[in-house]
Amino acid sequence: MIPHLSSQQLSEHLLGQPSVAAARHVRDCAACRAQLERNREELEEFGAAVRAWSAGEADRYQINMAQAAPASAPEPLSWRASRQLAWALLIAAIFAIASLVLPRHSGESAASDAALLQRVDAEVSRTVPSSMEPLMKLVVQEQ
Amino acid sequence: MSALETEIHPDIAARLDDFEALVRLYRPRVFRFALASLRDLDAAETITQDCFLRAYQARERFRQECSLHTWLMRIAVNLIRDRVRNRRLQFWRRAAKMATPVDAGGVAIADRGRSPEAQALLRERVAAIWTAAENLSEKQRTVFLLRFVEDMDLLEIAVATGMKEGTVKTHLFRALRAVREQIGEKS
Repeated sequence: MIPHLSSQQLSEHLLGQPSVAAARHVRDCAACRAQLERNREELEEFGAAVRAWSAGEADRYQINMAQAAPASAPEPLSWRASRQLAWALLIAAIFAIASLVLPRHSGESAASDAALLQRVDAEVSRTVPSSMEPLMKLVVQEQ
Repeated sequence: MSALETEIHPDIAARLDDFEALVRLYRPRVFRFALASLRDLDAAETITQDCFLRAYQARERFRQECSLHTWLMRIAVNLIRDRVRNRRLQFWRRAAKMATPVDAGGVAIADRGRSPEAQALLRERVAAIWTAAENLSEKQRTVFLLRFVEDMDLLEIAVATGMKEGTVKTHLFRALRAVREQIGEKS
C-alpha cells in the first residue's frame, strides 16, 4: 500500500485522472477518501456559488439598465435597421449632390437658360458701351 | 462531453443560422465566465456582446470541429485576455470595487442537510477558494474557472484556450495546489 496521496495525486483524482495505484489507495484509505470527497464538495459548491452569483448579477445588471433608460426613450435600432437607415441616408445624399452638380433638363430651366443667353447675346452685340449709346444716337441724327 | 454540454439541444449545433436561439442558449454561460474572470459587470457585458458579434461574423468559418460552446468560450477567452492585457490597471482598480460572492451576504451554499457548523465551515472554505482564484495567474484562473465553474473537460479547455492538453493540465495542477494551500491544506 502506498503512503497517503500527495497533492499531485489528489489533483489528478480531482481532475478525474488518477493513476491505478492512487485509485487503489483511495479505495483502501478512509482518510484520503474523506479528503478527496471534501475537496470535491468544496469545488462543486464553489462552482455552484459562482453560477448563482453570476445569475444574480446578470439580473441586477438588466434591471439597472432598464431603470437607467428614460421611459420615453425610442426603441433602439437593430443592427439591420441601422444599416438600412445608413444606406437610405447615403442614397439621399448622392441624389442631393447630383441635383446640384449635374445640368437640369426641365422645360422651365431650359426657357430661363434661353432668356439668359439672349441677354448675353444682346450685350455682346452692342457696338459701344451702354453709357455711350445716347451719344451714338446724336451721331446718327447728324448724318 | 461535459455535464453542461449534454443540456444543449442537438439540433442547435446544426442550426448555426438560428443565431437568436444560439444567443439565448449560450449567453448566460459566456457572461458568467466573463464576469467570474473580470469581476466587472460592464466589462462582462461588453465581452459577452463582442463574443456573439465575433461569432456571428465568423459563423461561416465554424467547421464544427468542436462544440459551439467550446468555440464561443474560445472567442470569450481571447477577448478577456486582450482586455486584461490592454487595461490591466483599470481592471484591477474597478475589480476591487465590485461586490463578490464573498462580500456582504457571503457565499450562497445550498443546504443539503448539513449541520450548521458543517455549513459554516464549507462556506468559509468556498470563500477561500474564491479568494485563491483571484490570486491565480491569468492562465491558471482561466483554466480553473473553465474546469470548475463551466464544467469543461481538459480537451475542451485546451481547444478553448489554444493550449496543449498537457499545458492545461499543468496550469490546473498549479491552480489546485494554490487553492488547496489557500484553504489550509498541505501541498
